[in-house]
Amino acid sequence: MVWRKAIAVDELKPDGVTSIEIDGRPVALYRLDGEVFATHGICTHALAFLADGFVDGGTIECPLHQGIFDIRSGKALCSPVTQDLETYAVKVRDGEVLIDLDGDNEAAPKDQEQICTKGEAPSRGAVVVVGAGQAAAVAIRSMRASGFTGTIDLVGREKHLPYERPPLSKDILLGKAAIESCRRLAEADAASLDVKTHLGCSVTRIDPAARTAFLSNGTELRYDALLLATGGVPRRLSIAGADLPGVHYLRTIEDANSIRQSLASAKRLVIVGGGFIGLELASAAATLEVATVLLERETELMARVLPPPLGRSFRSLAERHGVTVLPGVQVQDIRRDVEGLVVNTSAGAFAADVVCVGVGLAPETELAAAAGCEVDGGIVVDAEQRTSIAGIWAAGDCALHCRPVRGRSHRFESWHNAEQQGAAAGQSIAGAAPSPDAQAPWFWTDQFGLNIQIVGVSSPGDKVALTGRDGEPGAVYRTIDPDTGRLTSVVAFSDPTAIRQARKQLENPDMFDIATVSAALLTSDGKKENTQVVNERSVTTTSKQYVWPSEGLTRVPDWVYTDNDIYRREVEKIFHGRTWNYVALESEIPEIGDFIRSNVGPTPVVVSRAEDGSINVFENRCAHRAAEFCRELSGNAKEFVCPYHQWSYDLKGNLAGVPFRRGVDGKGGMPRDFKNADHGLRQLKVTTHRGVVFASYCDDMEPLAEYLGPEILREFEATFDGRKPKVLGHYRHSLPGNWKLYHENLKDPYHATLLHTFLVTFGLLVAGNKSSMIADPSGRHGVMASAKSDVSKLDNKTKKEMRAYKEGMQLEEPRFMDFVNEFDSPWSVTMTTIWPNLIVQREMNTLGVRQIVPTGPNEFIMKWTMFGFEGDDEEMTRHRLRQGNLMGPAGFLGLEDNEAIKFVQDGMLAVPDGQHVVELDPGVIGTADTLISEASIRAMYQHWRSAMEL
Amino acid sequence: MLATDPTYTAQIHQLLLRNAIEQFNCQYAAALDEQRLSDWSEMFTPDASYVVLSRENEDRGHPVGLIYCENRGMIRDRAFALEKTAMFAPRYLRHLISNLQLLGEDEHGNIKARANYVVLQVLFDRPDATIHQVGTYHDVFRRSDEGLKLKQRRCVYDNLLVPNALCIPV
Repeated sequence: MVWRKAIAVDELKPDGVTSIEIDGRPVALYRLDGEVFATHGICTHALAFLADGFVDGGTIECPLHQGIFDIRSGKALCSPVTQDLETYAVKVRDGEVLIDLDGDNEAAPKDQEQICTKGEAPSRGAVVVVGAGQAAAVAIRSMRASGFTGTIDLVGREKHLPYERPPLSKDILLGKAAIESCRRLAEADAASLDVKTHLGCSVTRIDPAARTAFLSNGTELRYDALLLATGGVPRRLSIAGADLPGVHYLRTIEDANSIRQSLASAKRLVIVGGGFIGLELASAAATLEVATVLLERETELMARVLPPPLGRSFRSLAERHGVTVLPGVQVQDIRRDVEGLVVNTSAGAFAADVVCVGVGLAPETELAAAAGCEVDGGIVVDAEQRTSIAGIWAAGDCALHCRPVRGRSHRFESWHNAEQQGAAAGQSIAGAAPSPDAQAPWFWTDQFGLNIQIVGVSSPGDKVALTGRDGEPGAVYRTIDPDTGRLTSVVAFSDPTAIRQARKQLENPDMFDIATVSAALLTSDGKKENTQVVNERSVTTTSKQYVWPSEGLTRVPDWVYTDNDIYRREVEKIFHGRTWNYVALESEIPEIGDFIRSNVGPTPVVVSRAEDGSINVFENRCAHRAAEFCRELSGNAKEFVCPYHQWSYDLKGNLAGVPFRRGVDGKGGMPRDFKNADHGLRQLKVTTHRGVVFASYCDDMEPLAEYLGPEILREFEATFDGRKPKVLGHYRHSLPGNWKLYHENLKDPYHATLLHTFLVTFGLLVAGNKSSMIADPSGRHGVMASAKSDVSKLDNKTKKEMRAYKEGMQLEEPRFMDFVNEFDSPWSVTMTTIWPNLIVQREMNTLGVRQIVPTGPNEFIMKWTMFGFEGDDEEMTRHRLRQGNLMGPAGFLGLEDNEAIKFVQDGMLAVPDGQHVVELDPGVIGTADTLISEASIRAMYQHWRSAMEL
Repeated sequence: MLATDPTYTAQIHQLLLRNAIEQFNCQYAAALDEQRLSDWSEMFTPDASYVVLSRENEDRGHPVGLIYCENRGMIRDRAFALEKTAMFAPRYLRHLISNLQLLGEDEHGNIKARANYVVLQVLFDRPDATIHQVGTYHDVFRRSDEGLKLKQRRCVYDNLLVPNALCIPV
């Protein structure tokens, strides 16, 4: 056991997560209710730093896929995370956080100085906690964390210290987990938190006047505060045979183990009750390939809490996985015959090897009622979990929620509720200020391979709006109060992102407009009531009206990327319209007569330097019969001659000679009024800036500086800083995607660390890199910029942070990531997109211009011209070349972009007529102050639509 | 009698060397075809250079390469990065190497050679194997305890327009 100093307590974020590194291992530190916890800093599911995640009620949500871990135990709580996080023992001494990387948090004795965040003196006295479930454990932890130093007696009917119950109907049934992984208060915690336990016995009576609790074993405990966390017992069936051997109820670990053992040899299971427990049991049985019949008394599953269309979705999910679900069935009795059990019902008899009953929980409120506490289907509490009797608090399944929902009081039998109420009770008992307002109720259930989360509270009469496919991953159901039109709950099938958004949406007091999420209302038979959304798609494709989606710029329809008519219009309105198109670097044609072949949009052009030193751009299409006459990529010429009929043009593209113009022997030849001047090559407007050549079909183009605008010009000039560019070579590649996707990729800083794991994997990203996504006021140009630190100038501490995050993940040639700061710019990396066909790449010291040459809606060519500057020494040139391994069609980052763009086009061609969701950073169009933004893409489409008149 | 004929000995020597290089190229192609990139990276000497560049750049004396490795460390970095971090669609590749020319051996033991190569690529959702790259290896081999190693492989490709991306080395 080695304790290492990690960080000063003061440096920890108050209620969030702080990232540190110890011995090359990233560690996430959390401050919860004044206590400090440590876990491994990287999600067990994918490479993501938990320090970028969200801390919420004792859990950390991974930023990448919204997997959630319990901070204290490291337990993976929902899909997609399945593997628990490592936790580390933490102690606080003299304001320093010490961490033992070998000790896990749960096993280690708690040894922390209390960090009193709220400033009041720790309270003393005696606390008795009645019931030893999750709420009790949370309350005890919270009391101690809030500075309570008195005695705590924990009385529990079960033999076990507190554990969490959600796994009982999930992994425990499948034998994938045991009680050890569900503990909410381990033995070591009980010792370190100084809790005296009385397990296997119950409290029989409370005398609130004498503040004394009487235990079944004869002990009398005096208390200053008593917490009722008595939970509940499964409702029993009041029919004959309800307690036969083989008829199971599920509440405790013993119940779960016993069901697991029974199912191991069972072939037929009958489940009575189609609630969440029943459905999770059915799901486990389906995994174990036990034939299952699920009987529900009501006409639809969960009819008392969910609107019928939602119950129906849960039912069809189970049915699709082979479960026979029978709603509207009354169970009459259960008998045992020679072959096993028989469940007699209003719908006939069902034979079973095992019967499980899940018909709800009866809260244990007798003790509370006897003590005089107000009880109304649950113990009535206030926001601090105080009951109506002084000195008695209540929390968890036995207590009502303090705030009625739509005039009705609720009990929430959920993990989340136990956490929230337990914490609130603990704080209140310790005399600490109550936590800020609790969040909307949240609940999850794992069924048939789906992680289903519910936030908010619905009523059976609510309307249900669906996005996605009913009952399938990604389906999101929103329930709406028909009277007020407000959103009441959101149910998401394997879509945790929707749940995050839902929390915000639920706070909105306005009427909820289902059009904003493209949802369709479901009728009680599950049909879509409002088919307008569905039709909109087909109208677009069949009549080719190119109607932009009603959501506006947050959606981009596929036809923008795949339609041939749209592409032709782009050539006309954009590439041949009012734009400056990149065609060359001046240094490619330094001498008179030098030329290169280039393109403006798809149109081939020749860029040549004439006798007067001027640069000229003209179409590579003979004025006579259209032949693309110039075939060499580059060269030097005195004139251009079309090989077909020897028409010749000068270096500016003017027609110089037409063979046999006057015919032979007075016969043939051109008409007498034929003038060479009328038959030159199509010449384009040309401008140059800092050695970069642009051309335009538009005769009255504004100057380039005006076209770019000051912000883009500044970045352009930061790269082309006056030194003379020196060409180092070209890359050319085809890309099977729409040309605009390349712009979008560079207006999408969101993808950078997600797609390009190279940088993250090798620890080459320094935390806190400055970055920016800039758009010009027109929205067409952009700069994606970030500032990397100059490695040679970094202090050792920062260098240490850059170390690889995984063993063995180190570059043998780290030099190639060095940055030589040769530019007068705060940015070390800028990708400047200049509409419509240029990207200026300044990736540290590897520099290039990329020219987009579209060849149709579904493909374009990229021509890269990589350059250094005159005056670079050999080592600098080699450094640029080494760093070039990042970019280009074989670059570590470049090849991934090319593949991703191909995937996007493949997706649109394979599943046509959809639309893209471009919603990140809502409400912003243009420059964004966060990288998690698609605001620049929206700005580009604002411009595109106006240029295209669409 | 024949064995003492110096011309004959030299010819045998040439044949053996040719055979060794052909053997090497077969193993090289197999390592890449099977995407055993770390095996591939070990076929180079520590000071090896490995560059893949277009014939356009080669002809003009432009040094820019699709891949530009100045030493085996960089070759290993590429192998490792491609195996561990790079995202690209799965594919099969077939490297065919032929027309081997021995260009001579200098007094330092540098064996110069040249061969043509073709890389065929199959994506799983298309029926055809496409010619992904075609070019010439300009090689310098060295003898080592473990047989021949490449001190230089300069892959000069003819198809200037790379189809989308070059994910596996050539």
